[in-house]
Amino acid sequence: MENAWLIPLFPLISFLILLLFGKRLKEASAYVGILLTLASLIYSILVLFERFSEPTYVTKFDWLTIGDFHLTAGFEVNQLNALMLFIVSLVSFLVHTYSKGYMHGDERFHVFYAYLGLFTFAMLGLVISPNLLQTYIFWELVGVGSFLLIGFYFYKEEAKAAAKKAFIMTRIGDVGLFIGMALLFWQTKSFEYSDIFAAVDAGQVSGTMITLTAILIFIGAVGKSGQFPLHTWLPDAMEGPTPVSALIHAATMVAAGVYLVASLFPLFSASHTALMTVAVIGGFTAIFAASIGLVQTDIKRVLAYSTVSQLGYMMLALGSAGYVAGVFHLMTHAFFKALLFLAAGSVIHAVHTQDIEEMGGLWKKLKLTGPLFLIGTLAISGVPLLSGFFSKDEILAAAWEGGHPVLFVLALVAAFFTAFYMFRLFFMVFTGEARGNQKHVHESPSVMTFPMIILGVLAVVAGYVNTPWFGTFLGDWLVDGNEALAAHGHHEGPVWIMILATVVSLLGIYLAWLIYGKRSVSRNWLSGSGDMMHTVLLNKYYVDEFYQLTIVVITKGISYFLRFIDTFLVEGIVKGITGFVQGLGATGSKMQSGQVQTYGAVAFIGLALLAVIYALTGGYLR
Amino acid sequence: MNLHAILSILVFSPLLGIAVLAFMPKNQEKSIKIVGFLATLPALLISLAAYAHYLAGKHLSDFSVSVEWIHFRGMNVEAPYFAVNYELALSGFQLLLVVLTAVVATLASIAARYVKKEWKGFFMLFLLLEVGMLGVFTAENLILFFIFFEVTLIPTFFLIGKWGYFEKEKAAYSFLIYNGLGSAVLLIVIMILFAKTGTTNINILKDILADPSAPVSGDLKLGLLIALLVAFGVKLPIFPLHSWMLRVHVQAPPPVVMIHSGILLKIGAYGLIRFGMGLFPEQFDTLATLIAVLGVINLLYGAFLAFIQTDFKMVLAYSSISHMGIVLIGLAAMNEAGVQGAIFQVISHGLISALLFFLVGVLYERTDTSLIGNLGGMAKGMPVAAGFLLAGAMASLGLPGMSGFVSEFMAFLGLFKEMPWLAAVGTIGIIMTAAYLLRAVLGMTFGKSHREFTGVVDLKGVEFVPVVVLMLLIVLIGVYPSVLSSPLQATLETIMPGLGG
Repeated sequence: MENAWLIPLFPLISFLILLLFGKRLKEASAYVGILLTLASLIYSILVLFERFSEPTYVTKFDWLTIGDFHLTAGFEVNQLNALMLFIVSLVSFLVHTYSKGYMHGDERFHVFYAYLGLFTFAMLGLVISPNLLQTYIFWELVGVGSFLLIGFYFYKEEAKAAAKKAFIMTRIGDVGLFIGMALLFWQTKSFEYSDIFAAVDAGQVSGTMITLTAILIFIGAVGKSGQFPLHTWLPDAMEGPTPVSALIHAATMVAAGVYLVASLFPLFSASHTALMTVAVIGGFTAIFAASIGLVQTDIKRVLAYSTVSQLGYMMLALGSAGYVAGVFHLMTHAFFKALLFLAAGSVIHAVHTQDIEEMGGLWKKLKLTGPLFLIGTLAISGVPLLSGFFSKDEILAAAWEGGHPVLFVLALVAAFFTAFYMFRLFFMVFTGEARGNQKHVHESPSVMTFPMIILGVLAVVAGYVNTPWFGTFLGDWLVDGNEALAAHGHHEGPVWIMILATVVSLLGIYLAWLIYGKRSVSRNWLSGSGDMMHTVLLNKYYVDEFYQLTIVVITKGISYFLRFIDTFLVEGIVKGITGFVQGLGATGSKMQSGQVQTYGAVAFIGLALLAVIYALTGGYLR
Repeated sequence: MNLHAILSILVFSPLLGIAVLAFMPKNQEKSIKIVGFLATLPALLISLAAYAHYLAGKHLSDFSVSVEWIHFRGMNVEAPYFAVNYELALSGFQLLLVVLTAVVATLASIAARYVKKEWKGFFMLFLLLEVGMLGVFTAENLILFFIFFEVTLIPTFFLIGKWGYFEKEKAAYSFLIYNGLGSAVLLIVIMILFAKTGTTNINILKDILADPSAPVSGDLKLGLLIALLVAFGVKLPIFPLHSWMLRVHVQAPPPVVMIHSGILLKIGAYGLIRFGMGLFPEQFDTLATLIAVLGVINLLYGAFLAFIQTDFKMVLAYSSISHMGIVLIGLAAMNEAGVQGAIFQVISHGLISALLFFLVGVLYERTDTSLIGNLGGMAKGMPVAAGFLLAGAMASLGLPGMSGFVSEFMAFLGLFKEMPWLAAVGTIGIIMTAAYLLRAVLGMTFGKSHREFTGVVDLKGVEFVPVVVLMLLIVLIGVYPSVLSSPLQATLETIMPGLGG
């Protein structure tokens, strides 16, 4: 573990090599990226196994001195970090591999791999940061990686707008994090997690301050994890290449907000209000985004809203004090959502469209992608025996035990929606008649299917590390040796929750089957029952339009008002000054009249004045 | 080894270039440009050697030089002499500014390849300007400082007025009037101090002024500080004294804008820190809230206006106003984090703005425009230049891993301790900075291209030198800020005790 810093270093090297020599390497760039992330993955696995038996490892050195404060940089390997290292490097490695097929033939192939390396470096750096400042640094860097990759097709206006939006929306959140971090520093005199927790524990920070800083930091998480009301950038981010959506906007970066709350959990759990805020925002986002997902017709956007919704789930879990539940769902979600995105990418690769209205009947043509997509769909819907079932159950239990019956019901409804829209997607894409213009549809090359198979296996089995039936290994290990967390470990929920969750998810699937599979119920049942509702959902509750009309307009308004000041008021001062100088010059030049009498008179008056001053002061000017 | 002559050699070394240029025929464009470039190298090498001297653990005071120069006496024979010595010295802060000046000057001389006419006159003035800048940052007494300060004004006036773009004369005059008034105010302050205390040596003045029995009352000190705030506020610039610098940024030729926004504006910050805060710490504390408010106004005012500009040069000009607001914010905090942040911002912005303005020059050279709308989709035609432009914008908006973040972070951290509400208002500027820079840069590089970029060559040859050097320095400071903070510690320790803890 002493050399865990090497893990982020490999992708950084990949980034630098490809930046300098990518143009010459062309598509061989892929091997550089793949091999170096493979090195990270192998090392992460070693570290993870080492962490099972050994205690947390921390090391740090002075980075910046400010007066008496020595800000440090370093790395830490605790349970959460080790787990995240594994998840991130695994998904990154698989996406690197997959992209070799997906991006084949793109003229900026090497740039794509360079950016992937940069992002992976930043993400791995983020998850081993031992202090808040360093977390913030990598936090921003992953944002840039995401920005660059969303805007990868830079010549598309949509990609440009989406990249800009992603950067600015997350930055709004980041400012919250920044303020929270600065305030917390002056309260605890440190950025180190351990010092902050110790200060909070010792009661050195007032209750209001804990609540305030925790909520400010949570705003950062809201921005990054696409929670309401800063969620609108995430669906737009689907303009990026699909492997990017799988890596950044499903499995890793967007989960960073959840990770941040998890790693600052002792701070959050010290404030009831802060936890409640997290739970409410999470619960609301879960159902809000799920309802939008019901009607979208772009395969990636459906998955994007599903991601927003699932992240809301994780937040709900953390806010209900279900530390293990949140982290557990983060892990399973990373696997099945990356799988779904990669499978979606494989579909798009085959049919060259993202509109599900133009797909259909692909089950027979895509013999591998179809079943893998089904596995992902079953997992996310919470069908028993797959990974999503166990983690979702853990969250529902946490919400129930946490005493949030309203949020519990919201989560159940969201689970129903999830099952429904995911199977709507599945039936629309893979069953029925082929719609649209489908020619030469063929299965993706093995370099793309291999990563999907691995993820497919994980999407099935990953849940078994933490089940009420065979033991809660993950939960016990995560809170092991940490008293602050021990109270928020595994929640042994009542059995009826598990049954209820299963019923709800199966109901969702059944309904989707009736409408989109068997087609015995009209597809327009929703729009028929309320045209308004359908329109509202299709337009994502008009949140974008609302921002356009308020924030953007206000900002522009302020700008134009200031321009008015700049052109009239400030320039007025300029005119005044230049006018004054010119006037002085004009007066001066008028004085040069050439009339010797005037000169003589002025000289005489001056001499007289000097004489008077001399007389009054006695000859010495004090 | 006797190092006392080193600083004088450093400051006046560009004169050698002027002498050589004087004997060269006017029309030998290529060799004039080469000589002009070579003439900036001695200063660069000496300043780097001085930094190495510091790194080797030796004292910067080895470089101090003091020679009797002018002295005179009033009518009262018993009164002590009024002495003006020729005094140069280096502290950590000054060392960093000298290195910055030398680096930017050398790189700007490379940017001078875009100068189209009268190369001889251009380089002679350019080198004289460098003498002025180096002198400003090494002068140890106020009179000498003032002389060098004026030496920077005159060449800049001619460089803008003769080699600038369409409205160059207007820009040059408004530069001269504003800065002339600023230096008039500065001269009054210097003369009052000189008359009252009999010295202009900065360190001696500092001790005298710190002594409560000094012949300078608290009210007078406050008045002097406000005067300094105006004098250097013109230079920095502080709202509403900024309009001259917008014109200069738009009209001056690329190498001069690099120098101007990279170094000349920083004289304002240097003056505020060294003289404003250094000489009048208590009064500075009295004005801290005002300065913080001015800082936040600068930050937001510049940012909001940058958001609606159509000319990229104007975006950068307003961006400079905005970024100088961060210097004020840091200073107003009056604690280690804030002041160190302000100094970092001075250096960091010097590098970043030099980089961005060089790139503007590169673009203008190829496309004859710097209007955002005209440049859309540029990344297609010149991917490398577009990449560096984006990286420069990222540095400017305070991306961690680059110098802008460290300075912004410390300045805000400092203010959050003293005036959290004001700091919170200021953070809107952080968002706006991202918004206006991305709007401008993505508007130029991303999207559909509005024009054919065929025949437009990407960054090439010697143009890589300024871009790569500046980028490396920006990243170096961002990743390893100790390169700046460790020479600064001694300076901060001398400023901080004066602040009363």
